[in-house]
Amino acid sequence: MRALEYFEVECPEEAGAKAYKEIASDILLDLNLVRTIGRLHIYIDPEFPFFLAVGRLRSLPGLVRVRDFANVLGEKGKITLDISTETYLAQLLSILWDSFGRDRVEQPDRFTIEIREDVDTKEIEDLVVYDPSEGIHKDLIYALQWIAPEGFKVRRQSMKDGHFYYVASENTLPEDVISDLVDSRMRLVEAEA
Amino acid sequence: MTLVPITYKGGIYRHDIIIDLIDDLGGYVVQKHVLAQEVVLQSLVPQEDVELIRRIGKPLGGEVTEAPLVGTEIAVVSPSLEIHHLPHTSCDMAEYLRQAGAKTNMIGLSRGFGKRIANLNIEERDVINEHDCAVYLLGNFETCIEYKMDALRRGITVPIILTGGPDTERLKAITDPPVEGYVGSIGRIGHRMKKQEGEIDHLDTLVEEVSAVLNRRREEIARDPLSVSPPHLRTVLDEKMHISADSTHPTPITVQIAGLRVKVPYETYASEIRALEVDEGVKLSDVAEVLPSRMRNYICLKIRPFSETNIIV
Repeated sequence: MRALEYFEVECPEEAGAKAYKEIASDILLDLNLVRTIGRLHIYIDPEFPFFLAVGRLRSLPGLVRVRDFANVLGEKGKITLDISTETYLAQLLSILWDSFGRDRVEQPDRFTIEIREDVDTKEIEDLVVYDPSEGIHKDLIYALQWIAPEGFKVRRQSMKDGHFYYVASENTLPEDVISDLVDSRMRLVEAEA
Repeated sequence: MTLVPITYKGGIYRHDIIIDLIDDLGGYVVQKHVLAQEVVLQSLVPQEDVELIRRIGKPLGGEVTEAPLVGTEIAVVSPSLEIHHLPHTSCDMAEYLRQAGAKTNMIGLSRGFGKRIANLNIEERDVINEHDCAVYLLGNFETCIEYKMDALRRGITVPIILTGGPDTERLKAITDPPVEGYVGSIGRIGHRMKKQEGEIDHLDTLVEEVSAVLNRRREEIARDPLSVSPPHLRTVLDEKMHISADSTHPTPITVQIAGLRVKVPYETYASEIRALEVDEGVKLSDVAEVLPSRMRNYICLKIRPFSETNIIV
């Protein structure tokens, strides 16, 4: 997969490694995670058996604020929002309803919202509508569960400071072995960074 | 008269001409599928008349192709029905076998995944054993296939065709005792099989391998022929009991190599089926065993060989 800066699948069985490299690429593409993950190392040992994935996320796009997709016009006792793209409209409406109440927020047409309240336009412009990092953890773990061979129900996962790991097996995972493995593979991911 | 399996695919307009023709020639329509304006007939017809059917079908937009698996019911066994195994590989393979004329049933094991934890329960074993053969779809690691195959084949009496990620030679090397067929290089994948090389080619090999295994089975049966041929028994049963007309199943009576699966409740219909007259003075129970199927409450008919009954219908 070209979009990833570093992507390796390590496995004692060559054919297995090749197959899993393809599976991982297909799944990450399907789930639209190729742009989110920067570096990924997968280690599969069919003997023990276990599956390990360590990697690093790319820096995520910033917070989406009202000013990014709408013009805010302030009048006396009324604020009018002129929406340019509808992508975040549903989230924006929920936030406005929660803050001002449904009776004060009106939507005369698809691209216009009126708030009958005396508020500073700057305050509305800076309102955070969507945080792209929300849900990333869930999506990433789902992708790794899907990539890993089925039936590996003893799992351990972590995501911290842009680094993540996911270990799965059908046997008990000794703590020290896992931390050694994760550390050594994490070094590989970091080596060429 | 040697019957050969074919698929007739053509327009629905006047397709009854083809059905009558096959019937007149002494052949059997095993399965009829109507898809919008198109009709697909899986049939067994006399070898020398294939050209005739092709000629008569041509003005009706009909195409006749060889379909080596017509008249067989195949179990496609997947380690589970989770997203890891479905829809890719399992569905691609089942669909390809159907194109070759087979009736496939996909069997997702409840605990077929993993390595040490993989197993096969009694119900799954019995359902698989009701088929003509079982195609096992396993994963990409030799170590795992070698380890779990023992558990997954325990109690299976029908021929097994093993497929998996390692190449065919490796699959042969790691399976002990050997199974009846092997198709390597098709393990778990994450996309639909579309490429000819390395994907569709392997599916073609699978059809060849399954046909070869089933041909060996047919040859074995030919040494002690069945008292009645399954397609003939199907026709008699359907004419007398109108099962197809009253059913919404795609194949209300499924033809197998040495039997039939009849999709009506056992408790209600078993005695009626047993008493059915297949030929003058020959009851169905004289030539076949009527058994309850493990699949829902269907009926399984096992046709007995000539050596047991001394009857040939």
